[in-house]
Amino acid sequence: MDYFIQQLINGITLGGLYALIALGYTMVYGVIQLINFAHGEIFATGGYVGVILLSFFTGLGYMETHPILCLAAAFVLTMGYCAFFAVGVEKVAYKPLRKQSRLAALLSALGMSIFLSNGLMLTQGVYDKAYPGELFQGGVDFGNITIGYLQMMIVGMTIFLLFGLNILVFKTKIGMAMRATAQDKVMSSLVSISSNRIISLTFAIGAGLAAAAGIMVGLYYGSVRYDMGFLPGIKAFAAAVLGGIGNITGAMLGGLIIGMVEIFGAGYISGQYKDVFAFIILISVLYFKPTGIMGENIDDTRV
Amino acid sequence: MIQEFKKVWKPYTIGLLWLLGLLWPLLGIHPDGTLSFGNTFTVWLYIAAGTTICLLLYIMNKSGSLNAVSRPLAGLQETVGQASAKVPNWVWIVILLAAAFCYPFFTGRYAQDVATNVLIYVCLGLGLNVVVGLAGMLDLGYIAFYGVGAYTYALLNIHFGMSFWICLPFAAAFALTAGCIIGYPTLRMRGDYLAIVTLGFGEIVRILLNNWMSLTNGPNGLLGVKPPSILIPSFQGGISFEVFYLKKLHFLYYIALALAIVTIIAVRHLNFSRIGRAWESIREDETAAELMGVNTFKLKLLAYAMGALFAGLAGAFFCARMRFVSPESFTFLESAMVLSMVVLGGMGSIPGIILGAAALIVLPEVFREFETYRMLVFGMSMVVMMLFRPAGLIPAKRMGKRGEEGE
Amino acid sequence: MRKKLFVALVLGLMVVPFIMGTATAKTLKIGSMSPLTGPYASDGTDIKNGVLTAIQVFEEGGGIPGYDKIELFAQDTACDPKQAVAAANKLINLEVAGVVGAYCSSSTIPSSETLAEEDIPMLTPASTNEKVTDRGLPYMFRLCGRDDDQAPAAAKFLKESLKAKTIFIVDDKTTYSQGLADGVSKAAKALGMEVVDHDHVNQGDKDFAAVLTKAKRANADVFYMSLQGYSPGALMALQAKRIGMKSQIVTQDAMFQPKFMEVAKAAAEGVYLTYGFTDTTTPEYKAFEKIYVPKYGAIAAYATYAYDAATVLLKAIKASDSTDPKKIKAEIMKMEFDGVAKRIKFRANGDSGSSYIAYKIENGQFVPYWAPEQGLLQ
Repeated sequence: MDYFIQQLINGITLGGLYALIALGYTMVYGVIQLINFAHGEIFATGGYVGVILLSFFTGLGYMETHPILCLAAAFVLTMGYCAFFAVGVEKVAYKPLRKQSRLAALLSALGMSIFLSNGLMLTQGVYDKAYPGELFQGGVDFGNITIGYLQMMIVGMTIFLLFGLNILVFKTKIGMAMRATAQDKVMSSLVSISSNRIISLTFAIGAGLAAAAGIMVGLYYGSVRYDMGFLPGIKAFAAAVLGGIGNITGAMLGGLIIGMVEIFGAGYISGQYKDVFAFIILISVLYFKPTGIMGENIDDTRV
Repeated sequence: MIQEFKKVWKPYTIGLLWLLGLLWPLLGIHPDGTLSFGNTFTVWLYIAAGTTICLLLYIMNKSGSLNAVSRPLAGLQETVGQASAKVPNWVWIVILLAAAFCYPFFTGRYAQDVATNVLIYVCLGLGLNVVVGLAGMLDLGYIAFYGVGAYTYALLNIHFGMSFWICLPFAAAFALTAGCIIGYPTLRMRGDYLAIVTLGFGEIVRILLNNWMSLTNGPNGLLGVKPPSILIPSFQGGISFEVFYLKKLHFLYYIALALAIVTIIAVRHLNFSRIGRAWESIREDETAAELMGVNTFKLKLLAYAMGALFAGLAGAFFCARMRFVSPESFTFLESAMVLSMVVLGGMGSIPGIILGAAALIVLPEVFREFETYRMLVFGMSMVVMMLFRPAGLIPAKRMGKRGEEGE
Repeated sequence: MRKKLFVALVLGLMVVPFIMGTATAKTLKIGSMSPLTGPYASDGTDIKNGVLTAIQVFEEGGGIPGYDKIELFAQDTACDPKQAVAAANKLINLEVAGVVGAYCSSSTIPSSETLAEEDIPMLTPASTNEKVTDRGLPYMFRLCGRDDDQAPAAAKFLKESLKAKTIFIVDDKTTYSQGLADGVSKAAKALGMEVVDHDHVNQGDKDFAAVLTKAKRANADVFYMSLQGYSPGALMALQAKRIGMKSQIVTQDAMFQPKFMEVAKAAAEGVYLTYGFTDTTTPEYKAFEKIYVPKYGAIAAYATYAYDAATVLLKAIKASDSTDPKKIKAEIMKMEFDGVAKRIKFRANGDSGSSYIAYKIENGQFVPYWAPEQGLLQ
């Protein structure tokens, strides 16, 4: 039983991280129907900016005196940075292709992904970058079960950010505008919603969430690496589709399921096939429910 | 020219400043608590200077300042174009074929190796074109069939000593079967759901290849695969046949060329047959196609199977050429690469895909000179090519509006 | 119009490989192959830097008679067999005298077949798989040890020094890591130890919580970690400490990279690893250190082997005064000298032997701890 609960905790932590990344995919998909392959790289960039800032604070000596404040500052600055970053990427690589076929934009995204991960490698070096100090390494023991402070922090942050996002999308004017743009760009522009601005905003929010995930991954695993965006990117994409792409609640659910399946697959059956289990769950869910768990009705003409 | 420049300078300047702002945190904040601006600024200046020159050239060309150079060139192009239009199609094909045939006589090993790679990817690209370009199904796990073909040949050759030529139909058949098995459950899905499911299947196949130790020898790969062979009659002491292994690169090049030509002819025939038209009708509007009596399910499965078949053939050859096969050759990135060739070249257009395959294989080799900057430049050039030719280098003539929209 | 464009472009692309890579006179060209991009770029860069250091040392020592300078053509393999073969063909076109590389065994094996067609000597600093030298290629040499040397040494260490009875093994399914893990498993069973479980993770994973929780429950005496590269190793050590795993962590030569301690921090303390014995007090090592460290940073596992590989190649060319592979091979087989990583003497099959000992990480340093013959070293 202890073992089960411990694995459950591991699964929730991993699932939370996937969910945060998946949200970026799903939001972008919701408004412009683009699989943004470069999203994983934005997540990695977030991890790098986080380590740069935290090392900088450590170098100045603030980390000793105000650790929480530094961490908060790092989160806010990184999320802001990545938001600007993603908007830049969107303006350069996706906006000119908005009127073209979706595959053209997909390819542009793929090129951008290769470009960004190699850009990170060249500016930040090929070696892993370690997060400074031993932040929050300990944990709380309940008998045989250990819950790390970082695990708590990840789950807490994830819930907080998801909650905030839900309020933003469903309770505010901006969220309404986003939903309107997602449904019909022409109609929404008739009621004076600037679709360009909404699309940029969507990229910015998605990137902010990915950046937060990036820092948490860096803290939790202790280091970042230039190619760390690729695999989580694919997993998060799978999570977004599993939940029903374009659907925010679906993405959270999908992320959690993928994370759980991986952990339990590795914990109870075999580590080498854990990705196979994740994909089999994905395929069988989509077989019986072709638009994902919380899926919408897709119309026919999508390529 | 000034007019043109006025239109773009504002977004361009904002873009450059934006880039400076993004670059600085990555380069200018140091872990010892110091900040620097010098190195960021230098890097930025290089980028700014490079892009400004490109922009100026672009604007000058657009506004006609370069007419002195470009007009005679355009005139020349015109005359050559008119002259070439008079030359019938087959002459061009003959010229190309002759060039391809003579190619190994003038080139070294490296060029032949790259050319062989290009030809393999031409087969793959054309196969994927059947699925993506003709039938309009986005497939991100295509490389799995390539892997099935490669492992089929490797296993049959190692365990049963079967020769390359006998294995080719087997490889094709196995890949085709795999295509049907994977295709059957996925065809209910559409669009991006299909994409992720195919991606999943592709990964499952790769992980199986990596883990099934007793069959595939896992990550160690299979060694000792024989290259293609031919039988040479020898007349010493009666007639007997000698097995001659085609190890040399130029032999392999010719086999690849033959394979690519067969694929081109086959895909062309498929494209302009009843089946091809039915596929295109599915791509343009599935519901309408079904209404007109097209058996969409069967045809989609057929598209999947045909695509897999060509990948199987290419895979068998790939394995014979490398004389070694390991799961590392069948990652998701390869699938993405093949898809890029199809989209970059122009979906549904055979010359386009040939060009796309050539571009995406030759470019990283050209960029070898950049060493570590190689993939950076490659990624950038992919984006730039897409921005300037979003419908592909040579777009297909028969491509409807509907399939392009994707609302 | 389209047709013409097409024909012109295809012909143009055909010409491209022609133009590339033209030679300049009086330069000795050697090649290196390692992953400079992709997930193993860090180790690949170490290899390239090691070779560059060797060239620098040689040129400072008077160079090679008859050549103005020595030029390195560093090729990227991205750890992909197809690109490795392309790189090998490119190096053949460049007419290099010899090649140092590659890193991944799965790249070394096919590319060595290509190089063998033109009889170009290849010296691998990092591919430990047995198949690299066991295929009977005449010009294939190996500077690092073999998996089937390291595994018995590791098992002996577990048994004699750590007095282990039960072992939990994890590998990440690469040619290198799995081969070694299987070898350790076999050797440990032969020595009477019990392998409680042999689990696998995948390349590129970051989250090892599931398998570590499993290992914690199994509570074996030793947790044997066989991973490709220091990066996943550091992550695993860190996470193992966090969940409070009590088993002793033992690992292998891929972790011999100072970045391991930098990333794993306190979790690295007390980790044991097997690695070829490198005497850091020899003048050769000191000379290497003096050039390498200021230029490229801390010395990592493969940099020393790559340096030795390049040194062997250059020495052989100098001694034989030619780039004829037969003469180079004859010189290489005659050679016996102290390299940076170890004493170098080649066997008939191209292996150069190995001297695996166990290191312990103490205060952020790799400290020699135990040797198969002498036992404890401290």
